[in-house]
Amino acid sequence: MFRFQSFDEDCTLEEEEEGGLVEEEDEIDQFNDDTFGAGAIDDDWQEEHARLAELDERVRDGLGGANDAPSATSVLPPPPSGKPLSSSSSLPPASSSSSSSAPPPGLEEAGDGDLAESLARLILGSDPAIAGVGTAGSDRPRFPPMAPSQAPPSGLSAPPSSLLSYQQHQHLLHQGPATLPQVNSHNIWENSMGFGPVSVTPGLPSHMEDSPLLSIIKEVGLPKRPPPVRSEEGRDLSERVPPPRSSSPVIGSPPVRAVPIGTPPKQPMSHPMNHQIHHPTAVHVRAPVQHRYPPPFPERLSPNTLLNIANSPLCRPPFPGGVGPVLSQIQRAQLLNSQVGPFPRGPGPAPPLLPGGGGGFRPFFGQPPQRVGPHAPPPNHNPIRHNTTHLHPQHRRMLTQRLQSRGDRGGRGGGGGAGDRRNRDPYSNLMTQREKEWVARIQMMQLQSTDPYLDDYYYQNYYEKMEKRQERDRDSSRKEHTTKLITPQVAKLEHTYRPVQFAGSLGKLTVSSVNNPRKMIDAVVTTRTDDEEKREKQVWNKRRQILYTVEKMYSLLLEVQDFEKKFLQTPEEQREALLEQHKTNTLQLYNSLKEKEWDDRVSDEQCLMIMSVRKGKRLIARLLPFLPPPQAAAVVMGISRNLPALAKKDKQDQVLCWLVEPVAVVIQSMSSSALTDLLQELQGSEGQLQKVLQNKFGVTLLYLILSEGERMQSSDPNCQLMDDNRWTELVFSVTRELLNVPPSSLSPPLFTPPNLLSLFSRYVDRQRLELLQEKLQITALSR
Amino acid sequence: MNYMPGTASLIEDIDKKHLVLLRDGRTLIGILRSIDQFANLVLHQTVERIHVGKKFGDIPRGIFVVRGENVVLLGEVDLDKECDQILQRVSIEEILEEQRSEQQAKQESERVKLQAVKERGLSIPKADTLDDF
Repeated sequence: MFRFQSFDEDCTLEEEEEGGLVEEEDEIDQFNDDTFGAGAIDDDWQEEHARLAELDERVRDGLGGANDAPSATSVLPPPPSGKPLSSSSSLPPASSSSSSSAPPPGLEEAGDGDLAESLARLILGSDPAIAGVGTAGSDRPRFPPMAPSQAPPSGLSAPPSSLLSYQQHQHLLHQGPATLPQVNSHNIWENSMGFGPVSVTPGLPSHMEDSPLLSIIKEVGLPKRPPPVRSEEGRDLSERVPPPRSSSPVIGSPPVRAVPIGTPPKQPMSHPMNHQIHHPTAVHVRAPVQHRYPPPFPERLSPNTLLNIANSPLCRPPFPGGVGPVLSQIQRAQLLNSQVGPFPRGPGPAPPLLPGGGGGFRPFFGQPPQRVGPHAPPPNHNPIRHNTTHLHPQHRRMLTQRLQSRGDRGGRGGGGGAGDRRNRDPYSNLMTQREKEWVARIQMMQLQSTDPYLDDYYYQNYYEKMEKRQERDRDSSRKEHTTKLITPQVAKLEHTYRPVQFAGSLGKLTVSSVNNPRKMIDAVVTTRTDDEEKREKQVWNKRRQILYTVEKMYSLLLEVQDFEKKFLQTPEEQREALLEQHKTNTLQLYNSLKEKEWDDRVSDEQCLMIMSVRKGKRLIARLLPFLPPPQAAAVVMGISRNLPALAKKDKQDQVLCWLVEPVAVVIQSMSSSALTDLLQELQGSEGQLQKVLQNKFGVTLLYLILSEGERMQSSDPNCQLMDDNRWTELVFSVTRELLNVPPSSLSPPLFTPPNLLSLFSRYVDRQRLELLQEKLQITALSR
Repeated sequence: MNYMPGTASLIEDIDKKHLVLLRDGRTLIGILRSIDQFANLVLHQTVERIHVGKKFGDIPRGIFVVRGENVVLLGEVDLDKECDQILQRVSIEEILEEQRSEQQAKQESERVKLQAVKERGLSIPKADTLDDF
């Protein structure tokens, strides 16, 4: 038993250790492992033992002295052959095959000669046996499907089966292949003798338990027996052993703890897949996916396995990195080799069989992938494979091609090399196959798109080009390759989430997940009711509004200004239209200034607004020349009316003077009455004149007006300026003001019209005139 | 090659020894055990390797979980080639010492440079604030 424990402690079993251990002790070890380990079930073993004992008796009786005494005592041939024997006698189907029935204790005692003899007999016997295969009776089906799970040393078992009678040989041989009548005799021999070119039927249907089994048995032959040394793994695995499968009437129900058919070799990838195969709803085995049961032959090629194979990196080395802590296939094979070696105690025929048995593994692994290749991704089973919307069709083709090539290469080349190195990593396969697939699936999701050319232009183009290239290379007659690109179109899923609401409940469900995050807090935005802020905002808004108005007027103005140029350029027919346009524009311009209802009065408000901005003043200045005289006059009047306010606002900008020129022009075109009105406006409110005088522009304006008046008077004898007294009075008040105003508050005008003096001389006496002259520094030029 | 030939995927790198360079300049060597879609890595039996000149020192760190965005690059370590190293392996203390002195020397030279630049009336923006972008 201590051996047993030592296995516990040391997970990573060394091959040499194994061999050494084996050699140290007697065959009891193996028996132990098989008896007490994962491979055996107590009751079964006992039963089997009993059975075989009976058999042995019979054999001994039958063969007479053919058998050695020791061999006579030994009931069971080495484990593999024990199985067929036991199964042939009777069957607790569930257990027999799994119970790696311990080779009879006395087996090792069989001599070399015996071995040779038995071999020969076996060979001879096999022919009639072969012949008899077709007549195999009904008990064939009873043979557990786990028969295939027996180790190849069914062949190995053959030599030591000196105990076996011919009958038993027959059974054995029949057992070897699939226990089906259809089995080729050719196959039988190969299979029983070792692991000949085993091939796995590709594309085995995964959903049917019967057919895969049948086909496997048919094609593959006897699988290897689980290695004897698996005590701890057996224990570990007990909870991971898949539940028993339903029995098939044809083959007989498989043993519960048997290595499931199709159990992959110690390759992490296939393991979970196989579990899936057998038990679609089975527990997903996590943790180091070690297959305790050495898969007799790699896999029953299910779609999933296919997928795994497709997952070439994982399967590329037949023994991918990270074969588990437990023995790898190779190790097991070698173990068995070493175990069986001492068994018959003879080099003889046995050893040659062993390498065959062990070596048989490798080609085995290589081939299934090969077979897999030509078969298209199997239907239905594998979501990834099936979800081919992700991949460009050419892409997929490439994948399968690669699979095949890799399978070929893997089979021949990959073999032993890297496997040895990597078979000691106890932490490998922490990431299970499913997890890897999951990540890959996520990556593939990114390939989905409703607009492939937009999302993944280079990917699509690459494959398109490749297709074209291939088409070019091949015959153009091959129409099958001129496939049109069918890009995967995946409808974009509706992603909006509507929270579930139950009638009569308050509010919404608060269940949230990654895909539909829910607001935890409903935050409502409320505006600040701060008064000051409001005012500030209002001010800003007003300013913005003004600027906006100014801008709009400017654009109109620019159009008006450009009219001339445009007019010259447009052809005759369109000139009319252009003219119309022009008129409209100017009108619009004025309209924006004028009072709502009054045509001839400029809105003070508006005027002020616009003029409060520097740009606005500029605008007016530019605008004035384009306005028709009455409108222009109205504007000027508006200006003068509001001059104090404007002056105040202009303190910063000081740009009112821009207006001088255009205003002057306007004034000069004004009629006398208008002029008078203007002057009146200028003096309109109380103290206005004073303020006017304080402002440069105001003064200038005043002078302009006066000058104009004087001009009118002096030039035109029919001037109506004097008709009413207004003008005179106004002038009087002006002069009065001028005299009264302290010199300091009188701002110098932009320029002083020369005829002011003459104007004043009309209305004031000499004395005042002189005073005025002094104040205003009017030089007596005129007159 | 897995499902997507022509793409980069870490799936086939699992259970292999890798060298990972992080954004903060650390070099980790460990066996890549697990990944996810963000290229977050789980490194097993990780060793932080500090390189100073021709010497290096290993600090065993155990298991690392690295957030994907912090990885600059990673690559599989060729176990054969790893054996013949040009660099000289030293003890941890020694390499840490070396690192410290290297840091100091760098800081010193940096300071001198900054001084010279300031004297000439220029200014160089500090690079450390731009680190992440």
